[in-house]
Amino acid sequence: MVTEAELATTSITMRYDLSPVRNIIGDLSGLLGTFSDELIGAFYSKTISKKANIVITELVNNAILNSADREGKVILEIAINKGILRIRVINTADSSQYRKVKSQIDTINSAGDLRELLAHTIRERRKDRLRGGLGLIRLAAENKFKLSVRYRAPYLVIDSEIGLGGLS
Amino acid sequence: MKILAFGEIMDGGTSVFSSVAKVDGDLLIVSFGGSIRIDNPYRYLEQYLLDLEQLLPQENVGRIELDVKELDFCNSNGFYIIMDITEMIINAIPGPVTVKRLKDDDWQQETLPILLNVDEPEIGGRIAFQEFAEI
Repeated sequence: MVTEAELATTSITMRYDLSPVRNIIGDLSGLLGTFSDELIGAFYSKTISKKANIVITELVNNAILNSADREGKVILEIAINKGILRIRVINTADSSQYRKVKSQIDTINSAGDLRELLAHTIRERRKDRLRGGLGLIRLAAENKFKLSVRYRAPYLVIDSEIGLGGLS
Repeated sequence: MKILAFGEIMDGGTSVFSSVAKVDGDLLIVSFGGSIRIDNPYRYLEQYLLDLEQLLPQENVGRIELDVKELDFCNSNGFYIIMDITEMIINAIPGPVTVKRLKDDDWQQETLPILLNVDEPEIGGRIAFQEFAEI
């Protein structure tokens, strides 16, 4: 008999590499998020699998919408190992897109109060009905992921990571 | 109990999100279920919002129950429509508000209070959360 605690030490790695982006016409982010939720939920608590679902859905959706090269690829890598959940999403981008994302992530990582940052951003963007612009803040404020970004032209690489200790 | 209004999001021919507003005596019950994943939920829910706006003043209700337990997922594009619906209801009915939510759901615990504007003392003072475990 395997205990819940033992199940939650299972190492899982998944990688999806999809191209060309122009062929992605369905709700791919939802599909990947939901599938990962189910698969991770087979070993880990619902709290953890739901976090993965939200991060995958938001990041993959961003990657598809913002891919600079519609002939290019979107890559999703998910790994749970040694008590850490890592989700990496890669898409094509130009340097100005990278600077914009980096600025947003720098703001998030330097915020003293992430909840206040999320609340303020929602209020400000709602005034003008601006779409987007909330996903990354949400992942940090709501789901408690640590975010980072790199640019390896032509690819934008967003890493999100959370320690699973204390999450049941 | 009577059904006051109903809103739904269809995606690929399937219902993926629904919200129902019901009146039971002096209690307005508004439930949300499914997932908001689409880019523009207003396309489907604007009429629901208008119906509620028109019908609520005609009802003699003094209490509100918002039930989000079955709302599995809400993307960031769905935040504004949730805010618009809940804000309109809370402003229309000046009574106590009970919010039923899941205790282990990040968005219901962390972001929903922001969308309900609980930091505003006038609103926060009227809202009580009831926590439920996911089955």
